[in-house]
Amino acid sequence: MKALVYIEKKDGSPIGTSLEVLTAANALGADITAVSAAVPADCIDEDIVTSAVVAEARDGGYDIVLFAATTLGKIVAPRVAARLLAGSVNDAISIAADGDGFCVIRPVYGGTAQEKIGIAGKAVISVRSGSYEAAESVPEIKEITAPDADEIGIKILEAIAEAGEAVNLEDANIIVAGGRGMGSEEDFALCKELADILGGVVGATRPAIENGWINRTHQVGQSGKIVAPSVYIACGVSGATQHVSGMSGSKYIIAINKDEEAPIFDVADIGIVGDVKKILPLMIEEFKKKQG
Amino acid sequence: MEILVCMKQVPDDSIEIKLGADGQPDLSKAEPQGNAFDTYAQELAVRYIEANGGTVSILSLGPAENETCLKSALAVGAEKAYRVDDAGFEDADAFVTANLLAAAIKKIEADNGAPFDLVLCGRESTDYIGGEVAEYLAEKAARPFVTNVVEIVQENDGAIQAKKELDSGYNWVDAPLPAVMTISKPDYDPRYPKIKDKMAARKKEVPVLAAVDLALEDGDKVALVKYLGYQEPPKREAGVKIQEEEPADAVAKMFEILAADKVL
Repeated sequence: MKALVYIEKKDGSPIGTSLEVLTAANALGADITAVSAAVPADCIDEDIVTSAVVAEARDGGYDIVLFAATTLGKIVAPRVAARLLAGSVNDAISIAADGDGFCVIRPVYGGTAQEKIGIAGKAVISVRSGSYEAAESVPEIKEITAPDADEIGIKILEAIAEAGEAVNLEDANIIVAGGRGMGSEEDFALCKELADILGGVVGATRPAIENGWINRTHQVGQSGKIVAPSVYIACGVSGATQHVSGMSGSKYIIAINKDEEAPIFDVADIGIVGDVKKILPLMIEEFKKKQG
Repeated sequence: MEILVCMKQVPDDSIEIKLGADGQPDLSKAEPQGNAFDTYAQELAVRYIEANGGTVSILSLGPAENETCLKSALAVGAEKAYRVDDAGFEDADAFVTANLLAAAIKKIEADNGAPFDLVLCGRESTDYIGGEVAEYLAEKAARPFVTNVVEIVQENDGAIQAKKELDSGYNWVDAPLPAVMTISKPDYDPRYPKIKDKMAARKKEVPVLAAVDLALEDGDKVALVKYLGYQEPPKREAGVKIQEEEPADAVAKMFEILAADKVL
């Protein structure tokens, strides 16, 4: 079996989810060709990557084309599939060979159910972050280009950066996430303080973002980032399906919430029933002491 | 400007859907409604034509029950709503769904004697969350495609400027028309219908196009993926619950467990 793996890069290095995709391809026993495309500054990455991958896939006789299920990967996978007339699945959590085709599992209804999908022939699949361990070695990454880059009609007129630092939730080892229960922007800052002490990254639920306590690049959940850190500390997070589906792959979950019935406790390794605004400062003190 | 919004009818996304005894998703407690992102697309379209002129039409694929979301759309600024009856295509995947929508759009455009300047879709549906139909549709229609748009500004010289949401920041892009776009969540929420508009919408006729009558090539009718059924996600074991009167005791207990579990 031949697999084409698109490696998405950030600041020149493969993102963590792309390393996980390599493991998915290895698990299929596939011969892997890893590729990446450089995107001209005034072009939309989706257009360039679609065109470049299609050109490579047409020549290469691949059985499967794999992407990380990022914003980019989930848009490009079906577009590539449309041009190759292959079956596509976004957000796969497992992929198995099945005769000449594949059997894929993906979450639906915000993760409360999973769907099994069969593809009889060639497949183009994006793999959800946290579904496989990251590959330890990366094969040589071949640079590919879009043959028709000049003809693509959509140009970027202006790029506007989001205020605040770049956030890399998917590759974070520790995430301290705040929800509605943090109550105010001022108290939400406790999450940042704890994250800083632990060398982690701040996550947030949709209500925390809608309240303006932190910007949307920190959102964890179905409409934000899908994460699977070693430790996830959920502060004042009730555990709405929308959020839990984005973090339930975490290896160790600590939850603090004053409502003992909160669904977040169903997935937590340690659940503390109590006032997050009193507990977080004590935790911060203890971790500071531990670190000397 | 003539705008068409594709709308999927989905179960209420605020209700948790679980598998029933028959292994199928139990939708009995979730009222049908227009997919949230599609309603954002409609609101964005209606705001645009209110400011700049034009009409907004809605297109939905599905059985007669889907007229629920179409009637709702007609009550909040859409002028026309069309339904493609999917009888004969119940196994449609994203590819076939997009092909049916593309063929229906072609037919409506031919009947109207003019193309839609913009075809908008929500970025994904809240039930299956595949995020594929608009992509297949744009490829089939071979029109310029902009994803995750949150704002459009007045067309100029056959092109439109769109604000495209990125993981971090935005791009303003210039897209030639006609184009296909997916819409993400803008800063505003869709409007609520007024009673009188609701009444008027109820009386409006929704033209129905039969999927089996649409001009589709044979290859475009065959699904590329097959839905084989559902399974429960593996359950995560709930761990230790700490319930202490004093926050300091709770934190002390947490550190004991962390030490035992060799975490942090």
